[in-house]
Amino acid sequence: MPLPLATEHLRHGARMTDFHGYELPLSFTSILEEARGVREAAGLFDISHMGHFLVRGPGARSAVNALVTSDLEAVPFGKSLYGILPDENGGTVDDLIAAAQDQNTVHIIVNAGTREGDYAFIRERLAPSLSLEDLSSGQVALALQGPRSQEIVRLLGEGFETMARREVRHPVSEDLPLWVSRTGYTGEDGWEFFGPASLVSKYYRLLSDEGPAHGLVQAGLGARDLLRLEMGYPLYGQELSRERTPFDAGLDFAVNLKKKSFTAREQVLASKADPDRERLAGFVLLERGIPRTHCPVFDAETGRRVGEVTSGGHSPRVGGGFGLAYLASPFWQEFQNGREAEVEIHGKRHRARMHPRPFVGATRKNPPA
Amino acid sequence: MSSERRYTPTHEWIEPASSPGAMKVGITDFAQKEITDVVFVELPKIGKKVEKGGEVAIIESVKAAFSIYAPLGGEVVAVNDKIESDPGLVNEDPYGKGWLFELKVADPTLLTELPDEGAYQKLLLSGGGGH
Repeated sequence: MPLPLATEHLRHGARMTDFHGYELPLSFTSILEEARGVREAAGLFDISHMGHFLVRGPGARSAVNALVTSDLEAVPFGKSLYGILPDENGGTVDDLIAAAQDQNTVHIIVNAGTREGDYAFIRERLAPSLSLEDLSSGQVALALQGPRSQEIVRLLGEGFETMARREVRHPVSEDLPLWVSRTGYTGEDGWEFFGPASLVSKYYRLLSDEGPAHGLVQAGLGARDLLRLEMGYPLYGQELSRERTPFDAGLDFAVNLKKKSFTAREQVLASKADPDRERLAGFVLLERGIPRTHCPVFDAETGRRVGEVTSGGHSPRVGGGFGLAYLASPFWQEFQNGREAEVEIHGKRHRARMHPRPFVGATRKNPPA
Repeated sequence: MSSERRYTPTHEWIEPASSPGAMKVGITDFAQKEITDVVFVELPKIGKKVEKGGEVAIIESVKAAFSIYAPLGGEVVAVNDKIESDPGLVNEDPYGKGWLFELKVADPTLLTELPDEGAYQKLLLSGGGGH
């Protein structure tokens, strides 16, 4: 399905790709150049495929909070929060960003491939007095990411540059029914914009025209995937699924243990204590090669198969091939302690060792709040 | 464009090289754009014998791994070492400095049976070809 900015992307020389049924730019110049551009200055991404839900009605915030692992009621209104939407078995329905504007209004940003399923899943669990709107259709969403984002967002002339990290504005004004958040998925400082195509497309054109003077590059899905993988962030369908809990994926920070109740709290917490579960590990290759999704992983000492790569890539910043893999117990622990693994690529085994996540440091960890 | 250069539906090119009987092989501009940033190339060993359509090399890009097939049968007589240290040459100059290997082709007369520039361009326009 083409998205509203498709013609703009072609004008910028995009090579398009299919992502969960959406046509999106894979790359404009070079995936590596774009990723470098984002780390060193800033990049502009079309993320119109992302889902945007609005929950409204009495007690919307506590109703949504009952569905996610993080604690939306522990953050102030107007701040966004990363969380996991678990199913009744503790498996992951999706990972999302939620932000409550007040007690009765919550915005949720979900993944493209899970949007329809999420809608049904959430609707079923909300009281009839609460409305759940899917605002995604026809919307344009942008992510401006990189250390120079603050300087570039100033070009829009709306004062967004004064927003704090994870601050959300919605609507910006009566004339601007936009959802703007100082968040992103690259590890860099940045802003995300969701709203009607007519409005956000204007931002897109303004940033595309005037941003390059400040180092802004057009960036595609290829760079987006590389940047999130460099940070060790999960991608739903690869690191996360109905078979995996947030603890399996190492997303301990996304589960608020003080929270008294959320869907399948017991099952999710039980997985944390389960010594036999498979767990996600970061690794780097010690030999030339690029690991890819589904490459098998072996214990280098015994030759026994111990897991599978979920995401892999090549990064000059990391220094070669690297990725994430689910590893069986007790090998996962041994791997953490320095034991080597082997990743099979095109029938050949490549030595690998554990690497902590993130694989690289973001350019600026503490943007001014 | 070299008039002697021929193409395959899997987006390799082949043309006579300077040494007699040898033919140079690379990937097309269309292919390098599809493959995106080449990170490294697994080149064949010199002396490797290949059948037409057989896998000779693997190009690893940021995006994925791509098999490179022999446009004609023969023996690998040279490889482009330069792309080992500078794989970006395959993207920057796919018909020149980014060549992959040279084949001593068993039957050089078969070259003219492969699609020429015009036929290859038509194939691209029809959305044909693939890897």
